[in-house]
Amino acid sequence: MHPATEKLVSALKELSIQVDNCNYEERGYHFEIDLEADKLRVLAECMLAQEMFLGFVGGLHVKPAIEIVYQFASFERACRFVVRVPVAADNSIPTISDIYQGANWHERETRDFYGVNFTDHPNLVPLLLAEEDVDLKPLLKKDEDLKESAELRWAAPVEEKPEAEKAEQG
Amino acid sequence: MGNLVGDNAVHVDLEPVTDIPNDNHFYLNMGPQHPSTHGVLRVLLEMDGEYVVEAQPVLGYGHRMQEKMAEHKNWMAFMPNTGRMDYAAALPYNHGYVALFERLCGIEVPARAEYIRVITSELNRIVSHHLWIGAMLLDMGAFTPILYTFDDREQVLDILEDVTGSRLTYCYFRVGGVCKDIDDKFIEKTRAFIKRQRERFTIYNDLITGNIIFIKRTEGVGIISPDMARRYGITGPVLRGSGIAYDVRKNEPYSVYPNFDFEIPVGQNGDSYDRYMVRLLEIEQSLRIIEQALDQLPEGPFLGKAPKKMKMPTGDCSFTVEAARGELTYYLVSGGGDIPYRLKIRVPSYSNLSVLPELCQSMLLSDLVAAMGSMDLVIPEIDR
Repeated sequence: MHPATEKLVSALKELSIQVDNCNYEERGYHFEIDLEADKLRVLAECMLAQEMFLGFVGGLHVKPAIEIVYQFASFERACRFVVRVPVAADNSIPTISDIYQGANWHERETRDFYGVNFTDHPNLVPLLLAEEDVDLKPLLKKDEDLKESAELRWAAPVEEKPEAEKAEQG
Repeated sequence: MGNLVGDNAVHVDLEPVTDIPNDNHFYLNMGPQHPSTHGVLRVLLEMDGEYVVEAQPVLGYGHRMQEKMAEHKNWMAFMPNTGRMDYAAALPYNHGYVALFERLCGIEVPARAEYIRVITSELNRIVSHHLWIGAMLLDMGAFTPILYTFDDREQVLDILEDVTGSRLTYCYFRVGGVCKDIDDKFIEKTRAFIKRQRERFTIYNDLITGNIIFIKRTEGVGIISPDMARRYGITGPVLRGSGIAYDVRKNEPYSVYPNFDFEIPVGQNGDSYDRYMVRLLEIEQSLRIIEQALDQLPEGPFLGKAPKKMKMPTGDCSFTVEAARGELTYYLVSGGGDIPYRLKIRVPSYSNLSVLPELCQSMLLSDLVAAMGSMDLVIPEIDR
């Protein structure tokens, strides 16, 4: 592991944030973090202090609560983080747009698509959708399509399956 | 206010115009149909005379809800949509999308296909930079350069048309390879183009690089510091103009890019002129990649075996490529089956443009055109 990456991981562990390693070849990122909303801002501050940039902020509609996905990466080395944070019961989550100014638009967009309230966001008005569509929330799933968060977690591919499929095709 | 014409210092030493009472301010809508916003982008400007107090981009005029469409059809049926976001360089968008599914499902790609992908993607990057150089100079009132860059662009579009079947919104890559092999004619024409393009750089340099008006309009205009770039998530040539050598092709190498010897051009000051220089030098680096790829081009199939009906495993997967404007990330969450549960598309111009309000404070309106032009915005990519 790159020394700077090691430093970042240990800094996160000091904040008692659990960091899990991922196989980059399979997943496309190096570390994943499941976080509670109250630690989001300290994580963002730590990321900025360790010279990471914010790739994107996006939403994911799952049960029991909508999850906000943050991706951080580095300009200097191959080091990519995915952070998932479930929103609070009142559909709110703290903003990080004062730490990473680039999050401003991403959060407005997520508000457009999911109706999540980013508390203390300076300007939480529709960005991509029209003003009259403020309650449209187009990316919310219908009840029958909605899945549990745990169902969508990465499961390492089972070796037997592809062979069985091959046999069927052959 | 002193001498406003032809003096670089004027951009830096400006008195903060916000001190002037607000009743002198007025609002100006730049766009949505303004020629230098390159698409339907509106910038709401609070002005004090010719100076910008605040610039607020207003987005969404071309919003098509691509991410919603991705959740509603078979993943292969979304493929043509990938070429319709960044229309000026669609192939890297194709590349990221197919590579995402190859990663998720563990599909092998034949070596020849990877080489073809790199060659055509780099040709597309060159085309995109041609378009940008012409349009940027046109924004600033120089009509001639676009005639030269479009002449060159035309050569590449003809080459790409032969193999992909289209000239702009390509849908050429497939999971497991590409849909059509390249032939000797393609290789011959590409080599001829490389030779021709290298000769054309002299014209570019005579016409633009050393042009005193161009230098005066861009040097010191719209300076983005590395810190600013980090806070806004700026990537691509805009970031490299600020001296940070971040390129996904080197940083997180994908496809066969590690097989090639190329450099990442960077600027020093982070101004509009540096961003121009970075893109101009990138054309040469792309030519180098294509040249090496043609030399090494392996024989073999151009499309590997991929199951017709492909089911995705459960979980999330991310794939990042270097598009012509910066870092493009597809982030997929799959719940099994063949329709994505969620597809987040992180487009480079979106983050690049979000810096505009901070970048353009106390700037002359004419400089704003130069600064915004130097970002190489493609609005359908931002609006998605």
